[in-house]
Amino acid sequence: MRSGLLATAGLAVSLGFGGLSGAVAQDIRIGVLYDLSGPLAAAGSVASAVGANIAIEMVNEKGGVLGKHKIVPIAADAQSKADVAINEAERLLSQEKADVLLGVFSSAHAVPIAQRVDNQKKIFWITTAIATAVVKDRNLQYTFRAQVHSDQFGAASTAFIAEVAKSKLGMDAKDVKVAIIYEDGPYGVGVASANESGAKQQGMQIVLKEGYAATSPDLSSLVTKLRRARPDVILHTGYNPDITLLLRQSREQGLRFKALIGHGAGYGQIDKLVETFGKDVDHIFNVDPVAAQLLDPKSLKPGIGDLTAEMVRRYKEKTGAKEVPPHASMGFNQTWVLLDTVLPAAIQKHGGFGADAIRKAALEVDIPEGGTVQGYGVKFFPPGTPLAGQNERSSPVVMQYVGGVTKIAWPTALRTIDPVIPLPASSPYAAR
Amino acid sequence: MDIFLVEAIVNGILLGGILALLALGLNLIFGVIDVVWIAYAELVMCGMYAIYWLYAVHGVPLPIAAPIAIVFVAILGVLVHKLIISPILGSAPINQLLATGGLLFFLQSFATLLFGADFRNIGLRLPIVEVGELFVSFARLLAFGVALLGMLGLWLFLKRTYVGTAIRAIAQDREIMVLMGVDPSRVYLITSALGGGLAGLASALLVLQYDVHPFIGLSFGPITFMICVLGGLGSMVGGFIAAFIMSQIISVGGFYTSIELSYVLAFLLFIVMIFVRPQGLFGVKS
Repeated sequence: MRSGLLATAGLAVSLGFGGLSGAVAQDIRIGVLYDLSGPLAAAGSVASAVGANIAIEMVNEKGGVLGKHKIVPIAADAQSKADVAINEAERLLSQEKADVLLGVFSSAHAVPIAQRVDNQKKIFWITTAIATAVVKDRNLQYTFRAQVHSDQFGAASTAFIAEVAKSKLGMDAKDVKVAIIYEDGPYGVGVASANESGAKQQGMQIVLKEGYAATSPDLSSLVTKLRRARPDVILHTGYNPDITLLLRQSREQGLRFKALIGHGAGYGQIDKLVETFGKDVDHIFNVDPVAAQLLDPKSLKPGIGDLTAEMVRRYKEKTGAKEVPPHASMGFNQTWVLLDTVLPAAIQKHGGFGADAIRKAALEVDIPEGGTVQGYGVKFFPPGTPLAGQNERSSPVVMQYVGGVTKIAWPTALRTIDPVIPLPASSPYAAR
Repeated sequence: MDIFLVEAIVNGILLGGILALLALGLNLIFGVIDVVWIAYAELVMCGMYAIYWLYAVHGVPLPIAAPIAIVFVAILGVLVHKLIISPILGSAPINQLLATGGLLFFLQSFATLLFGADFRNIGLRLPIVEVGELFVSFARLLAFGVALLGMLGLWLFLKRTYVGTAIRAIAQDREIMVLMGVDPSRVYLITSALGGGLAGLASALLVLQYDVHPFIGLSFGPITFMICVLGGLGSMVGGFIAAFIMSQIISVGGFYTSIELSYVLAFLLFIVMIFVRPQGLFGVKS
C-alpha cells in the first residue's frame, strides 16, 4: 500500500516536473514549404522535403535542439505555383506563427518570398532554390542560403569542359562549340547566363543560346536549330517534363553531340531518367551539389559520414528509392546546418530563437570544408556585400551517369570516375 | 530549300495533326451542347494514365490497352455530361465554365492521389524514320496518321449515319429539333461519349510521345482552347485549319526566331483575330 502511494506520488512529481520543463523549453515552429504537387514536385521538390523532414525527425529524436526545444514542422504545399507559394509563406509566418520559414524548391518562388519575408524581418532559410538572383544585390538581412547558387552551376560545367577539352576531345577550349539551352524561369536564366560568361571566359564558341517555357508541348524547332548549329557540348538547364521531351525529340530527330551537361532539377532524378530512357541516359553529365552518399567519408569531418549513412537509410526506407537524389541531400544538409549549428548558437549565445538571434548566430557560423554532409563548409556573406546571405563556401560538382549509377567527374580532387567524353558509340546521341 | 526548314515544316504538320484532334473533340461538344469543357485536356490525361496502368503496370498489350482507354474516356465523357453538365445546362455559361473548371482541379488532384506527382512513362521507344538528312519521329507520324483517320471517321459518322445527322441538326438549331420531337438529351449523351472518345484517342497517341503526370493538361489545354476560338468555337473545319496555322507558327516561327517568341507570335495573331474577327476564322456571328 505504502509503496503504491509512493509510486503514485513519484509519478505525479515526475509528471509535474515534466510538465514544468515542457513549459520552460519552448517548441520551435518551422514552416516547411515545398512543392508537393504540380510539375515541380517530381523534379526534386518532394525529395528535398523528405530530406528536410529527416533532419527534423533526427533532431527531435534526440529531444530537439539542445535536447529540449522540440521542432514542430508545419508542412505546406506550394503546388508548383508562385502565387500559392507566396500565400503559403505568408500564412506560415503570420497565422501559423512559424519562427523560421524553411524550404522552397523553385527559384521563381524564392525570389518574391525572400523580399517579403525580409521586409517582415523573419528568417527565410533556403535549402534548394539556386538562382543567384534570389540574393544578388538585394542585401537581404534575414534570408540565408547554405546551398550552392546558380552562378557556380554555370561556371562548373564550362570549367570542367575546358579542363578536359584537350585530353578528351582533342581540341583547344577555344575551338569547343557549346549550345546553351534553358527553361526561361529565374533558375534556367540564372544558370544559362553563368554558362554564357563561363564559356566566354574559357574562350569557347557559343553557337546557340535559347530559352523556352518548361511547359512547352513541343521543342522540335529547338532541336532542329541545335542540329543546324552542330555544338560539341550542350549545356542544358530544365525541369522535368521539358528534359524528357528534349531528350526524346533529340533522339527522334537525330541530334548528335559529344557531351550533354545538365544542371540539376530533372537531371538530378537519375531513377526517373533511367525509367524513361533506359541506357540512353548513360554518360550524361549533371551539375549539382553533390549527393552526400557519393563523397568519401574519409575526406569529411569525423561523424559526418555516419550522418550521411543515416540520412540515406531513412530516405530509402521512406521512399523505396534505389538511388538517393542530390535534392534529398540539399533538403537535409541545409536543414541540419540550421538545427544543429545555428539554432543552438542562437539560443545559447543570443538568448533565444527570435529572428534577430537566429540572424546573429547565422552570421557567426563558420563550418570549415568537410564539415557538412555535402562536403562544403558554411560561412555566410555578411550584409552589405553583393551576395549577402549566400554561403561563400558552397560548391557544386559535375557528375556522370554510368550504368544507372552516379559518379563524380569534377572537381578532380573528388573524382570517382575518369569522365567518359565524347559519348561512346553505344549512345544514340553519339556522333556517327 | 534548307533541309532544316523542311524539317521544321514537317514537324509543324505532325504537331498540327495532334492539336487538330484535340480541338475536334472540344469543338464537337461546344457545337452540339454549347458547353466548353475546360477540363478536356485533363480527360486526355486520364486516358494516358489508363494506358500507362494497363500497359506498363499490368502488361496488357498496347493494341488492346489503347481501345480500352478510348472506351474508358468515352465513359468519362458521358459521366461528365450526366453528373456535371446536365444539371446546369440551362444556367448561365459562366456556371458551366466554373463547374468544368472545378472538374479540372478535381482530376489533377485525383491523379496526384492515385499516381503521385511523379512522371510516368510507358518506356516504349519507337523507331525513327530517316530520309537522307531528314529525321522524322515514327511516334509523331503514327499520331498524325491516326488523328487524320479519326477525324475522317467522325466526319463520315456525322454525314452518313442517322445519329450523326441528328447531332448536326441539334448543332444547327436546338429549339426547332425539340419541337420536331427529338429528345436532345440522348443526342447530348452520344456527343459527350464521342467527345470523350476523341480525347481517349488523343491520349493513346500522346502517351507514345509524352510522359504522363497529373499536370500534362497544362501543356495542351490552353493551346487547344486558343485553336478552337481561333477557328471559331464549334466549327470543326475551322478548328482543323487553325490547328495547322498555330502549329506552323510555333514550329517554323520557332525555327526562325525562338520558341518563346513563336508563342508570342501565336498569341499576337490570336489577339489580332479576336479584334478583327471575334467569331473566329470559320465561326458564325451570333
